[in-house]
Amino acid sequence: MGFLDPQNFIYGLSLALLVLIYLRSRSRPTIEVSSLMLFDEAPAPVASVRHVRIDPLFWLEMATLAALTLAIAGLYVMTPPSAGQGRSHALVFDLGAAMGAREGPGTRIDLARQQALEIIDQAPPGDEFSIIGYALEAQVRHPQTANLADLRKALADLVPMAVPARMAALRAALIRARGASEIDLFADRPPAPAILADVASTVRVNFHQIGSDDSNLAIVSLDPGIPGATRARAVIRNFSARPHPEEVAIALGDTEQFHQTMMLAPREQLVVSFGPLTAGGLLHARLLTDDAIDADNSRYAYAPSDHAAQVLVLSPDAAVRDDIARVLLAVNTNFQIETADPAKFVAPSGPGAKPFDLVVMHDCYLPVAGAASTLLIFPPPAAKNLAHAAGIWVNGTLASADIRSDAAGESAGVESLTLGATRVVALPEWMDLIATATGPGHLSVPLAAEGRGVDGQVGVLAFDVRDHLLLAPDHLDALVLTVDMIKQLTAPRDILIVSTGADVSVPATGNARVTLPDGSVRTMAADKWGRVRIRPMQAGRYTVESGGVTTQVLANYYDATESDLVVKPQPEVSVPTGRAAAASNLPSARQVQPLVFILIALALFALMIESAMLINHAGRWRMRHV
Amino acid sequence: MLEARAFEPEFLRKLDRMVLGIKRARTVRAGQRALGRVQGLGIEPENFKEYAPGDDLRFLDWNAFARLDELMLRTYRADRQVEVTALVDASASMGLPERDDKLGLALAIGASLAYIGMADNDAVRIGAFAMHRGAMTLDATPFHRRRESYLNFKPFVTSVKAGGETRLGAAVDQLLLQRRPPGMVVIISDFLVNEGDLEDALKRMVAARHDVKVVHVMGEQESTASYPPGLYRIRDAETGEVRETVLGPLSVEKLGRKVEKIAARIREICTAHAIVYARAFGAGNLEAFMERELPILGIVR
Repeated sequence: MGFLDPQNFIYGLSLALLVLIYLRSRSRPTIEVSSLMLFDEAPAPVASVRHVRIDPLFWLEMATLAALTLAIAGLYVMTPPSAGQGRSHALVFDLGAAMGAREGPGTRIDLARQQALEIIDQAPPGDEFSIIGYALEAQVRHPQTANLADLRKALADLVPMAVPARMAALRAALIRARGASEIDLFADRPPAPAILADVASTVRVNFHQIGSDDSNLAIVSLDPGIPGATRARAVIRNFSARPHPEEVAIALGDTEQFHQTMMLAPREQLVVSFGPLTAGGLLHARLLTDDAIDADNSRYAYAPSDHAAQVLVLSPDAAVRDDIARVLLAVNTNFQIETADPAKFVAPSGPGAKPFDLVVMHDCYLPVAGAASTLLIFPPPAAKNLAHAAGIWVNGTLASADIRSDAAGESAGVESLTLGATRVVALPEWMDLIATATGPGHLSVPLAAEGRGVDGQVGVLAFDVRDHLLLAPDHLDALVLTVDMIKQLTAPRDILIVSTGADVSVPATGNARVTLPDGSVRTMAADKWGRVRIRPMQAGRYTVESGGVTTQVLANYYDATESDLVVKPQPEVSVPTGRAAAASNLPSARQVQPLVFILIALALFALMIESAMLINHAGRWRMRHV
Repeated sequence: MLEARAFEPEFLRKLDRMVLGIKRARTVRAGQRALGRVQGLGIEPENFKEYAPGDDLRFLDWNAFARLDELMLRTYRADRQVEVTALVDASASMGLPERDDKLGLALAIGASLAYIGMADNDAVRIGAFAMHRGAMTLDATPFHRRRESYLNFKPFVTSVKAGGETRLGAAVDQLLLQRRPPGMVVIISDFLVNEGDLEDALKRMVAARHDVKVVHVMGEQESTASYPPGLYRIRDAETGEVRETVLGPLSVEKLGRKVEKIAARIREICTAHAIVYARAFGAGNLEAFMERELPILGIVR
């Protein structure tokens, strides 16, 4: 028994009001008389003073108001499902990377699938099941149905993804499953008690822990360094509680750079240094020793090329031109940088003119033909040709803007800071927002964006970099955003290295043929901006072929929590845990049965009785005292 | 308040021609109630009687003995003045209902009778009684005989406040303990007391050879229950007892009957003991009561 909205008990004050009216009606003036002897023969309404008078009309009104108050507050009782009605089950699966760990002859997801099938087989006829999976997000894999064949097929289609299972996704999955009378949760680690407590009060939750303590190794990171300058590094971590041998192989393209077997101490994180690399290119590190999870045994990185790219820097401010050139040289010392005042710039022409690989424009816009990539920093507000060419509109300027913490601040590992003048930019649909900021009168304005337009790769940084902002030690966030943007714009077009679960836009014309790491092939249509968007959920190499151009998307996976397969001890029992456990020990799932209609019926019944009594009194008193 | 009326010259002028109807005795006879005789005292010869052993030899009439050769005693009438006490009930019931001013009416009647009593130079006093916390309080003025000293009653009359319980028997006890010679006692009260207490008190007063007069005062609102109809919680002013009741036309009728019943019972008791009973209901009837009711009853002439 409980109340859906106890706040509505505020309406119970009407009861107090009724009692006040009752007491007021009962109150009688007290008069002092010379002697009660005189009133011996006067009629007495009551024999003695009583605090509570039996007044049927009052009690009927009290019952009516009480019933209505309870109805508004949402009184309910928990009742077992009625006989003959099929119970509903929700099968919730953890589809994180850890569920792909080897467990006996198969994987953990196979084990979970097997247990789920047993539950389905043992369920009485008429019971319905739904299948919900979660990792980064919760997703209903199959709606509620009693068709066992469909359920088995949906279970067979469950595959773990190379992404961590988030608690928020589990919470969302349980919320979606809350309509069922029973939830079976299959996961490799127990969920937080607070999450279970949210749903355990209304529905029975059966937790099935899949898998046991297991050893796993993972490549935490891979840093190619600067070819010819700094050493490359790979970080290997042993999640096992015992020493573990590990064979590591790292190759740059087809050339092996490092291959060694080493012994990792329990829970050791080892840094493997090698190089420096002699050239740029795709660097691939692999762990060749078998362990539980394969997804974190491979990692890609791209070593920047040292080819002499042509870069043009345009800015009306000479100091800005100098700062941007310094940053560009820091990214790639082989950049050939040309700087110019846009008012005096004359685009090179003639047959000998080489197109620029990157054009950086600060507070100006000039259409430069043939540029492979364009970086617009603090784009000018009145550049109509900019809007015409790239679809970027500048709607004004903010005196200052704060970088939001979920953008550059976190990625740079520094606190978000206040920037100076910032343009309010309206971006076209084909651009991906990288960072946002807040400013006076604006909750969110784009701060950094990148995308591929019809004229090539375009990046936008909305903030002004005057006054040596990029070199100021207190504004590392601005520098990090700029460096990341330059790296993205100068990266090779045919190789994209992303993390699993990230959205990736790949240039395409017409239909694109996407080959997944497991060898399966899908065909996707390019959108009106000439791109296909994929979201790699498996670690490895995705190949996108379109219009004779092949683009490789290399997805890396690593998550310290997900890759750690050592079963941690249960946290101490807290109140939510106890409540969840109590709820989970219910003999059978109970359903919420609101009593609104019953309470309203009682109220109406009481009103009818009161009306009948009033009519009776009216007839007796000839309508004079009603 | 109404008691002040008893000291207004205009009102007193109406009382000037009145005298108290005191039955004064010229002789003493067994069983006869008479006032104002004290044998052997005084200077006015009253009668002759034959000597009997034990008589005071100072009153022997030696001339008659010489002439008749018989011992004869000369008797004298001592004093013709009578002590008059107006005893007013000052209990809490006399103060209610306030609009009726029963206590004022009672004090006004008592003061008026005192003024009338002074016409014959009788010794007159006014007393008020009430039981406070179990102790009877009987306050009384000194005796005054001449009308010039009538205003000496005013401080006492105007200072009496209603409060306490009515215990007529205890008040009579206090009065008798003063061992005053028999006189006229006028008891003015609402008599909302126990019948036994009332009758016992009156009997003892009569037994002490006092000429007792009873004036029964009631308020107009009290005797007609002129309250707005409705439910009431009524509280006894003297005992504090609370009762719930319904006041309306029916209850007014019953209340009137109850008042009449009480008055009739008191009259019955008084008649049984040869006591004059007068009822003064309503403060507005003071002058009519003094000018018409009392002469009819013989309390004044």
